[in-house]
Amino acid sequence: MSASTQLGSQLVDLCSVLLLLCCFAIVAQRRLSACVDLFALQSAFLAATAALVAFLTGHKHIYFAAALTIVIKVIVLPRILRKVIERLNVSRELGMNINIPAGLLICGALVIVAFFITQPIIPLGYLLTRDSLAIALAIILIGFFTMIARQKAITQMVGFLVMENGVFLGATAAAYGMPLIVELGVFFDVLVAGLIVGIYTHRLQDTFDSVDTSTLTVLKE
Amino acid sequence: MQSIIHIVLVVVQLALLLTLSPFVVGLIRKVKARLQCRRGASLFQPYADLAKLFRKQPVISSTTSWIFTAAPYIVFASTVAAGLLIPVFVSHTPLNFAGNIIALVYLLALGTFFLILAGLDAGSAFGGMGSSREAIVATLAEPAMMLSILSIALTAGSTNLSTIVHQSALMEGVVVAPPAHLMALAALFIVTLAETGRVPVDNPATHLELTMIHEAMLLEYSGRYLALMEWAAGIKLLVFLTLIVNVFAPWGIATSLAPSAIAVGLLVYLGKVAALAFVIGVIESMFAKLRLFRVPEMLGAAFILSLLALVFFYTLKG
Repeated sequence: MSASTQLGSQLVDLCSVLLLLCCFAIVAQRRLSACVDLFALQSAFLAATAALVAFLTGHKHIYFAAALTIVIKVIVLPRILRKVIERLNVSRELGMNINIPAGLLICGALVIVAFFITQPIIPLGYLLTRDSLAIALAIILIGFFTMIARQKAITQMVGFLVMENGVFLGATAAAYGMPLIVELGVFFDVLVAGLIVGIYTHRLQDTFDSVDTSTLTVLKE
Repeated sequence: MQSIIHIVLVVVQLALLLTLSPFVVGLIRKVKARLQCRRGASLFQPYADLAKLFRKQPVISSTTSWIFTAAPYIVFASTVAAGLLIPVFVSHTPLNFAGNIIALVYLLALGTFFLILAGLDAGSAFGGMGSSREAIVATLAEPAMMLSILSIALTAGSTNLSTIVHQSALMEGVVVAPPAHLMALAALFIVTLAETGRVPVDNPATHLELTMIHEAMLLEYSGRYLALMEWAAGIKLLVFLTLIVNVFAPWGIATSLAPSAIAVGLLVYLGKVAALAFVIGVIESMFAKLRLFRVPEMLGAAFILSLLALVFFYTLKG
């Protein structure tokens, strides 16, 4: 490996680690608006990672995906979510299924699991982004955990979006990104999911006077 | 000749620790005051405070035992001893044979232990409360501190601080800090805020006994005992700042004993400590004090960060 690709590889690692740190910040965060801001920050790091990979490999279509990430995940989706939070007048998560220190410890364990699973695969790769695969898997697991641990529909949506960021990072790490048409489809899906959750939380609020999804498990009021 | 230089270096390091620590405290206060649009006290006010306290007659409660009068000396001595183990402006501190990182951590813990005992000794309610809080914070901060320092020690392959700093100072061509280092730095920074009683954990400027941690343990102290305790707290802050700047940013530290290298090392060190003190002042102005029950969450986050630093060391190779 030449010096410049080694430096590039280190930079990609650093960016993915920042993505992972954002995940932990989301898990540790009670305030809903801060969760959304952290998601926007994470997406910005993701766009930076993608642009870096595009620059290092010369795959032009990754630039396009990075630009789409900025437009949809840094600007549009956080704006939708902020608007929902504003209108619902909920500022912080009170009831959590798992308290924050325990949640952080579980996430630490999830990172170790992700690294343990990918350990045999990573040395087989030859791409300069291959180390990010472990981090991507960790981000997916933490996003999934966020969806389980939180009760408010909005933080569950943030968990879903974090998972999606992890998938994107994984695709970039394992195969220098998916074909453009697949990425376009995924972005469209995510945008629609954001809109649907926005409407769905409104319906929840109207029906139950709360956005706590655990009320949905009760058959009768 | 070599041994004379070493002795001189130890004396200079000792003098620097003792004289610079009140200045760092004053600098943080000044930064906070300026950010609140106040003029603030002079940068040298802490020196005047210490001088005043040393001249005053101490008043000692009749319910205290010998621990109360011995504790300030033990706290002060253990903190200064810890400060002599770390490289300050020369990467090979002459006393590095005396102890490694683990000795450093537990010298500081010894000081904390006697501080806690002293808080309990006078039997006042606030002192006991401060001691119990300090015990919680110290207990939770210790694993995070040990793990973050161990991840650095793994990178260098040694627990000797001089070796760690010397190796990372000599490293060339590394533009990107390894992720493990960044995580360990973040963890150690949170631990620093907790251990030195800075704002998100404890408010050093508070007058409200109910929210105190460090100050509550000192409520019964006066005169030279209080001066020693305050000075020791300043030195502890400086020790943590020095540890951070020299382990994570060892640029410019003197790697040889040439006079020019030492002069550059000294200047760069002063600049880096001032910059970090400025950062702490800004953080103290930006954040409110955490509720006591949130402090374990913050220290839990520091623990997770240092755990990740270890994981990344093994998986991303540094």
